[in-house]
Amino acid sequence: MEQVTSSLAPPRAPASNKSGHTASSQSGAGSVAKRLGNELMTLMMSSSPGISAFPKSDSNLFDWVGTIEGASGTVYAGLTFRISIHFPPNYPYIAPTIKFETPCFHPNVDIGTGTICLDILQDKWSAVYSVQTILISLQSLLGEPNNASPLNSDAAAIWNNQEAFKTQLLRNYRSLKDESA
Amino acid sequence: MATDALRAQVAAKWQESFSRLNQNEAGIVGLLNFSQAWNIARECMRPRGLDEPDPQTQYDKATFQASFELLNKCRRLPILLETFLDDMRNHFPVIKQEVDQYTLEYQNTLDTTHILNLVFRLLQWYNKWIPRQELGTTLQSAFVLSFQTHMFSILSPAFVRGFQALCASTLPPTDPDAIAPEPNVKMWEAFETLGLLDRYENIIASVGYEHIEAHVIATCSGQWSESMLPELRKWMTDKVVPWMLLMYGRNATTADDAKAMLQNVGSRFDFHMAKTLCDLRTKEIFDIIIDFPDSSGALQDLKECLLRVDQRAALVHTLRKANHKRLLHPGADTRLILSQYVATIKCLRIVDPPGVLLFKVADPIRRYLRERPDTIRCIVSNLVGDDDGGDSLVDESEPIQPLQQSELEDYTDPNWEPEPVDAGPDFRANKPSDVISTLVSIYDSKDLFVKELQVLLAQRLLAITDDNAEKVEKERRNIEILKIRFGEAALQVCEVMLKDMTDSKRIDGHVQSQKTSIIHPTIISKHFWPMLEATEIVMPGQFRALQEEYAKEFSTFKPDKKLRWLPHLGTVHLELHLEDRTIETDVPPLEAAFIELFSEQDVWSMDDLIAKVGSSVDKAAALKALLTWVDMGILKEEGENTFKLLEVAETSTPREARTVSNAAMELPSAPSVQQQQAEQMRVYWKFIEGMLKNLGSLSIDRIQAMLKLAPGYDQTVEQLGIFMEAARQEDLVDVYDGLWKLTPK
Repeated sequence: MEQVTSSLAPPRAPASNKSGHTASSQSGAGSVAKRLGNELMTLMMSSSPGISAFPKSDSNLFDWVGTIEGASGTVYAGLTFRISIHFPPNYPYIAPTIKFETPCFHPNVDIGTGTICLDILQDKWSAVYSVQTILISLQSLLGEPNNASPLNSDAAAIWNNQEAFKTQLLRNYRSLKDESA
Repeated sequence: MATDALRAQVAAKWQESFSRLNQNEAGIVGLLNFSQAWNIARECMRPRGLDEPDPQTQYDKATFQASFELLNKCRRLPILLETFLDDMRNHFPVIKQEVDQYTLEYQNTLDTTHILNLVFRLLQWYNKWIPRQELGTTLQSAFVLSFQTHMFSILSPAFVRGFQALCASTLPPTDPDAIAPEPNVKMWEAFETLGLLDRYENIIASVGYEHIEAHVIATCSGQWSESMLPELRKWMTDKVVPWMLLMYGRNATTADDAKAMLQNVGSRFDFHMAKTLCDLRTKEIFDIIIDFPDSSGALQDLKECLLRVDQRAALVHTLRKANHKRLLHPGADTRLILSQYVATIKCLRIVDPPGVLLFKVADPIRRYLRERPDTIRCIVSNLVGDDDGGDSLVDESEPIQPLQQSELEDYTDPNWEPEPVDAGPDFRANKPSDVISTLVSIYDSKDLFVKELQVLLAQRLLAITDDNAEKVEKERRNIEILKIRFGEAALQVCEVMLKDMTDSKRIDGHVQSQKTSIIHPTIISKHFWPMLEATEIVMPGQFRALQEEYAKEFSTFKPDKKLRWLPHLGTVHLELHLEDRTIETDVPPLEAAFIELFSEQDVWSMDDLIAKVGSSVDKAAALKALLTWVDMGILKEEGENTFKLLEVAETSTPREARTVSNAAMELPSAPSVQQQQAEQMRVYWKFIEGMLKNLGSLSIDRIQAMLKLAPGYDQTVEQLGIFMEAARQEDLVDVYDGLWKLTPK
């Protein structure tokens, strides 16, 4: 049953695979794709500086790659981070899964897995958010970390010492060009 | 020895023959009797000249019969027959001479009487020579065969032509007032006796066919309003059938008999009539379609004829050719092509309800229309009732219904019918849908129509001046109707545009209540209106002051919004006070801006004027604006591109102040779909930029595939290649090994 849903639907995350859910997501696959298509259009047409994202392939709208540039005036200025965005089949009722692909030394980001601790990606998620709002939130999160609930306690500890923080940051950072080279 | 045996055998044979001829009479009495009988028989059968007396007068019947019996007994009858036929052949040159003479006379005069006389003459010979009835049928039929063989061998082609003319002269005249020639029964009998009917059946039939053809063409050409078939059938029964009876129904005693005899040939004639009519209508089909609906009679005829005669392929071919020659060329107006197409749809629906013919004919028209740049605009302006003359494509009576998509066949439908046999492989058995659906289906998506509709609506709404609520209402009504067709969602943008109109009035009311202004702007939401041509006219003097004042009031009322003026879309009502006269007029803003500048100084050069209004105005537009004033006698051109204000009217140029209203009434220009395509390409560039930024370098095919994510993307990979190359020229992208990537900033 699941395979016939739609070529656009990714293998469903086990967490959302509850019985009784199948029918609704089947009919919803098309509308999710449509919503994602619209979000893509909005994102492309808006010229928010420093943020961008695009589907990995034209056959699967549920996996995107994003790019975030550190805002000027922050310690991240001039650095570019790649992120991966995975949308669940019942998006936008469930938040997308977002990870940093480029290692990011940041109080709210796990340096090893790239997992992000951001309220709107967890319990504060709402269907009115979009890729664009998430990317903007992430960009501002870089400059304004929430040190109260750190994932990376080392980073949280030295945040106040921006010089030391920058050194740590650059030690972990990998440029996109090196990546593709 | 052998000689002896031979001799004996010959002697025996001779003896036998002799005794047979001699009838076992004594001596040679029998032989003499036989000889006499032979002579009598031969004499009485001999082909004679017409003036010689008949043999019956010389010999009585008894002698005659006795002679024949005698000959029969001696088994000499076959020899007699041969001798007779030989004699006949020897005498035929006499007949040939006469025949040649008659034929020659006919050839000289072309008078069919000569042929008729010839036929009667032949009949005389025939009657003179035919062996007596009592001699048995063998003899007679041998005679008939031989006589006809000889006769046909001497009849020349000229005779055949004459014969045809003769037959034709017996036909009922086409002119209903003329008296039909008295049927010449004798003539037909002669034909029959001489075997001419069988021999020349084809010619007689062709005479009939030609007659029918002539009649059909004479009576039906250009007569499209009424169905002609019933009348033609009546004519056939009244005129042609009696004529046919002369030939084919001679021996009929009762009406039923005649009917049975005529059935075969009659249906052939009827077929021919149908075919002629069908050919005629096929030839006229293009004009018939033009005349529709006044030509529905002809279409009914055509439908019936096509059932009888299989000329469907010919019809399609002719119509396609006519369309190609007369319709689908650059000289024809798109509106005209569309209305002819609609008429074609309606006509061919009558002729062929399943729509196979229509499908075949419509295909080239649709393909052609797709290539025309203004097809959509034409259809849409017709939809919104924007017809400046010309008929509406849509019937008022046709119920408004949602657009129908061509659906897959529904095999569960109890009324399902298989595709007609002559349907092509790509024939779609679409149900008779309404005309608009058909027109919209020329294009693959209705989005183009919706877009064009927005452009058109924008133009029309902006053209409404002086809060003319009625016109807005009219547009609203139009949109409501179109919603039924295109669906609510598709026309949402139009809805917003209409709402902007009413909102503008409300906002204007509020702003005016705060501070009275003479500006009454129409406030439109940038996102929902089509791209409006933006010119950056800077309004000089009092106009700018007015605009700024208004904008200030507006932003206090709507703090989150900002007014961006599109001054070139408005109109200005002006009152000019000159030294000797006061002029009141409605002009476009550019004209107003210029004349405002003339209040500062009397003489301006055009370049200076343009510089004053923001140098985005092109010279042609500026010149046009200035000439408007020159036409009104307010400005005067002095030297190259220099204009002077005439404070005092010049009497030497008593030019009539033309009404400038038409200049002001011109529809504001909104870029058409085509111009928007360039805009579209900019959207695609954003997508390309997005994907290259996030996915690194990509091949052109991959970019093409990914661009499918952009709504409405319809470029080919070649076009994309050209576009990418252009982007490379501008140093936006770079290509290595066929992989494109963004140029690092």
